[in-house]
Amino acid sequence: MAQGTNKTYKVPIGPVHVGLKEPITAWLDVDGERIKDATIRPGAIHRGIEFMARERNPIQVIYLAERICGICSFAHIVTFTRAVEDAAGIEVPARAQYIRTIVLELERIHSHILWAGVACYTFGYDSAFNLGMILREKVMDVLEALTGNRVNYGTGTIGGVRRDVTPSVEKVIRDMIAFYKNEFGVFYDVVTDDPIAKARMRDVGVLTGEEAVTHCALGPTARGSGLRVDLRWSSPYEAYCDMDVKPVVPQDYMGEVRGDVFDRFLVRVLEVYQSLEIIENALNGLPTGDLMWEPKLTKLLSFLKQADGTGLSSIEAPRGDDTHAIRLTGGEENVTWWKVRAPTYANAVSWPIMFRDNELADSPLIINSIDPCISCMERMVVTDRSSGHEQVVTRSELVERCREKTRRLMGR
Amino acid sequence: MKLERYLDILTKSIWVFHCNSGSCNGCDIEIVASITPRYDIERFGMKLVGSPRHADALLVTGPVTKYMTGRLRRIYAQMPDPKVVIAVGNCAGSGDVFYKSYNLDGPVDNIIPVDVYVHGCPPRPEAIIEGVAKAVLKLEKLKETLAKAGAAK
Amino acid sequence: MSLRRRGYTDEYLDPEEVLSLLKRKFRKTSDDMVLREYRGGAANGGSYRCLWVRVEKQRFLDMVDTLMEIDFPHFQITSGDDIGDAVELNYHFSIFRSVGRGKRLGVTVSVVVPKDDLVMPSLWDRIPGTEYSEREIREMFGVDFDGLPNKGLVFLPEDWDEEIKPWRRDETGPKPEDIRELS
Repeated sequence: MAQGTNKTYKVPIGPVHVGLKEPITAWLDVDGERIKDATIRPGAIHRGIEFMARERNPIQVIYLAERICGICSFAHIVTFTRAVEDAAGIEVPARAQYIRTIVLELERIHSHILWAGVACYTFGYDSAFNLGMILREKVMDVLEALTGNRVNYGTGTIGGVRRDVTPSVEKVIRDMIAFYKNEFGVFYDVVTDDPIAKARMRDVGVLTGEEAVTHCALGPTARGSGLRVDLRWSSPYEAYCDMDVKPVVPQDYMGEVRGDVFDRFLVRVLEVYQSLEIIENALNGLPTGDLMWEPKLTKLLSFLKQADGTGLSSIEAPRGDDTHAIRLTGGEENVTWWKVRAPTYANAVSWPIMFRDNELADSPLIINSIDPCISCMERMVVTDRSSGHEQVVTRSELVERCREKTRRLMGR
Repeated sequence: MKLERYLDILTKSIWVFHCNSGSCNGCDIEIVASITPRYDIERFGMKLVGSPRHADALLVTGPVTKYMTGRLRRIYAQMPDPKVVIAVGNCAGSGDVFYKSYNLDGPVDNIIPVDVYVHGCPPRPEAIIEGVAKAVLKLEKLKETLAKAGAAK
Repeated sequence: MSLRRRGYTDEYLDPEEVLSLLKRKFRKTSDDMVLREYRGGAANGGSYRCLWVRVEKQRFLDMVDTLMEIDFPHFQITSGDDIGDAVELNYHFSIFRSVGRGKRLGVTVSVVVPKDDLVMPSLWDRIPGTEYSEREIREMFGVDFDGLPNKGLVFLPEDWDEEIKPWRRDETGPKPEDIRELS
């Protein structure tokens, strides 16, 4: 505790930053080791994507939308194509809807396993990190068999999908589901059995239910605080209209909800099991039919040229609700305006609240707990306020502190 | 060449520093995937370090945004010689789909000199490993030149 | 004094009732308040609805408070465009997020802000989650928000010239020399 006048240190973190692969600058106001406040400065990945879309036609914007983020790229594609289909009045055939759902859920699995691995790495559990990454390779193989690439699939188009689920791909997907049902249990054990992981994650980075509502938190961050929100349930789209998907909240499984990092970890791990069930249901009920509303690109483009209207769509991406709004004007080939709201944009507003009264060593874990996809949103900065003194803490120093705390807790 | 000569030139495995100058994370996730057990670049002793002052090679991803230009130059200046720069991904090589924007300062070779380009959107981990292997060969040559010029090894 | 709700509601109102409530209170024609329906799935079954309304700038806070009485309006994003002598902003909210299957109602409120009076009241004290969005609209369109405490730049770099507003289409927009072709 600082003596004398009550000032805090400002510790800037980033943008070339710990625990994240993305540049974000954060200023943490620190009093000793306790964080009092945090200011976040996004902006390092702002590429002006919405501005660039004004000179491209909707088909070209698909490839721009895919590269907003590499981890949730298909979620952005589906949201974008749904917004254009809303504005232009295009209907998607049923088989394409089911294939979109299957790829969305495969992407959710890969994203959640990646997050679980990185969270374990952040607090020092390297073996869980490596195990998670090997497990993840299975779903990457399946995605490659279905779409042709591990990341940035290019399968979505306006009015449908471009690649089909053939019988050999179906067999590969079913093998993967069986594999995960056997092997993924290790992560479940990490969450519920390991005392060190629990000690590191319990009561760290708390976000209460009321704060989650007023700060508009989304996805697993909001569900981890006990709110029952899930767009696949409250406003079903694509193949979810035929399935009953319930939001996964900690109080149904653990009996209580505290809104900390442990609850968010639990929500994500359980959602992987939920995704496996959804994929199985989708494969069993896959209807026959066309893959696209209009297979010829020139006809599609000329239809879109004379379409006029404003479209809005929201879907449940791995991190929360992804929203796109688009305006098409009749007679113009290019998009008039396009607005993207990725889930991290809304979740990041809750960061300063989660940082309060936690230790500096926990900061990488808290930063990671909302599963930030800064390229979807933008960037962050940390300052330490107690001595009025600015000190730069590098990426490796913070991760080292985080892992050091685990060793302290283990008694070494 | 004799084994002793090799050990003279490259006394340890290279250490790599990663800098994201505005990328969508696809390339960064493939870089993380290449240190995991399936592709395992760590069996060669290469690892990701936390500070540019310890690094021999710099992996850069992303079209450089205006916010990151100054920082990228500073990171390059902080690395000790001899060093190599590897531009990973299409964005770092040429800008990819991000042409014509108000906030981008050009592909990486406008900011710092680049030695190896790895193409792909994103490049597979095998391609990244090949890129790093080519960078190692280049680094060997650089160290040999420095050693001949009488600089400290 | 408006109601300061702090949680999602469990009571559901049919979308047509919400629509007629808003029509009565704001005396609008059916062009300005539209209900859209979205269907999907193999049997074209499940659906949800979205409400698109238009309101004048002076009655905007009334509209948000009316929504607050029905349920806490979850704020998604503000989109908009420069339409000549005004800036049109669309606030996208959604209500009934926690009520039941297929019951979410999206509400989009469109407001036209004339360029000679480019100020809007801030929603920050009612919904703290609007902070980033209002700062973004401020730096991209130049619309000032009355009552927003932190008005700094959020996405543009620190040395950006604040006279240039990237999304405007008139003389304050970026000139061709501000836009770089990378390759």
